Amino acid sequence: MIAVRDLDLSVAGQTLLANMSFDIRNGEFVGMLGRNGVGKTTLLRTLAGLRPIESGSVALDSRNIAALSPADRSREIAFVTSDDVFADRLTVREVVAAGRYPHHRWWQWSEEPHDAEAIARALTVVELQQFADREFTTLSSGERQRVWIALALAQEAPVLFLDEPTSHLDLRVAQQILKLLRDQVESGKTVVCVLHDPNEAAAYADRVLLLAGGGILAFEERERALSAELLERAYEVPMEAVTTASGATRIFPRHPA
Amino acid sequence: MTLRFAALVAMLFAVAAGALLVGGTTLSPSAIGAALLHPHSGEIATIVWQLRLPRIAIGALVGAALAIAGALLQGLLRNPLVDPYLTGVSAGAAVAIVLSISAGVAAAAVPALGFAAGLATAIAVAALARRGASLDATRLILAGVSLSSLFAAIIALVLTRVQGGGSAPAIVSWLAGTLSGRGWNDLAFAAPYAALGALLAFLSAPALNALRLGDVRAAAVGVDVGRAQWTILASSSLLAASAVTLSGTIGFVGLIVPHVARRMVGSDARYVLAASALLGAALTIVADALSRTLLAPAEIPIGVLLAFIGVPTFLYLYLRDRRTAAA
Repeated sequence: MIAVRDLDLSVAGQTLLANMSFDIRNGEFVGMLGRNGVGKTTLLRTLAGLRPIESGSVALDSRNIAALSPADRSREIAFVTSDDVFADRLTVREVVAAGRYPHHRWWQWSEEPHDAEAIARALTVVELQQFADREFTTLSSGERQRVWIALALAQEAPVLFLDEPTSHLDLRVAQQILKLLRDQVESGKTVVCVLHDPNEAAAYADRVLLLAGGGILAFEERERALSAELLERAYEVPMEAVTTASGATRIFPRHPA
Repeated sequence: MTLRFAALVAMLFAVAAGALLVGGTTLSPSAIGAALLHPHSGEIATIVWQLRLPRIAIGALVGAALAIAGALLQGLLRNPLVDPYLTGVSAGAAVAIVLSISAGVAAAAVPALGFAAGLATAIAVAALARRGASLDATRLILAGVSLSSLFAAIIALVLTRVQGGGSAPAIVSWLAGTLSGRGWNDLAFAAPYAALGALLAFLSAPALNALRLGDVRAAAVGVDVGRAQWTILASSSLLAASAVTLSGTIGFVGLIVPHVARRMVGSDARYVLAASALLGAALTIVADALSRTLLAPAEIPIGVLLAFIGVPTFLYLYLRDRRTAAA
């Protein structure tokens, strides 16, 4: 479990999000939603232990995350960002192999059989095993995103944080990625994922964390968090709810007729 | 991979053996073999043990050190155009050496002064590039380039002042890079620092692999980003300063060899560092042998010779890259 208590986040001296206290349960899929600039990425990086905490605390299974060594932390938490990179001539496998770093001693140079297995498993989950020897730079954006996820899976950490893994991807690839994340949750992992589409959260997340107005607007089961009223307050645009043929509720911005 | 490295090691030994045959006095392979087995057996043994072997060993060390340092910095800064002198090591060492030669400081003290000044410059550049616990790549490049140009201006000033004086040739030969006149003593001074630098480099290889995916990803897989950056910078500075102390400013080895190494063994930093070391050593030994023989008995400065080999090679590699990219 990840326990957040009285957490304040500031960027360049300005308070971005204040007074946050919540728990993320083991084995759930949390979707994080909010407008651009509200602090989703900052919060996610802080929860992942990649940003110093100025005020408040984040504990992972009652261990203060700030007190963990980088390697200890990375065996518990993997973090996926889609930031672009100068990957030179790295192959897909070499990128994914970096996920084994926290499992190695500081003097350890070579891979062990278990490393190779973890890398192969991660590539299989994202269905890129036949791409192992391809140069990373030759991949499409959807394939690259799957490589970043494989890198995190190779870490074999029980908790997975992802910052907008479906941005810039077409519908099919976005669905494929959300489905594989859902499968990870079904197999016991905890997934916390920043999403830009409330309906993606509605379809795949267990609970939704809505950020707005410098704090948490709602952290609820998805049916309750994804109401037209709450989303209007989060995104500051009129919204409407539509019931699909299968009975599920989907929310859209109300476009002029 | 094992085969490729076996080939590289074999090439290095072949090149070193070939370089033993080259020099002012023509020696037969059997005479050299005999001299190698009996270090105190007379004039030939003296030539082999006191002139040729130290020069080959120094060439190997300088080339390996520069190539490793270049591979480290290119990886750390995620920039293929970086060379080991970027951190100001060579410019700092050059100023100290030029000033001490022109001031008539005892020749024996000059390398140590250059080494200290080179490291001091690298530390100053690193301090300027610091941001929090980690390094800012752009600031590192800016600080290195600006301090280097300041030092180049000082050297130019000194050179115009000493013109016609006795020290100008010594300064110019040092600036152009040369392995002549160095012996076991110089090697013994620089080798421990180079060895420490190389050890740090190889220990940093896994972190370097992760750092190339971006600082955030490296931190996410458990790299202590600040510590890894400082270790890599310290390692490349030690290596570059050792090389500059021994040979003056030899260019292009540190820039080009890592590119060739990546073409041979792929992108994994562990292999790139090892292959760079072997290739850098071999290239420098070959270039030094050529510099001694092409215009014998005169010597072409090895720095000049490497530029003649290096620039066209580099352009070829990059132009070819562009063609394949367009295809």
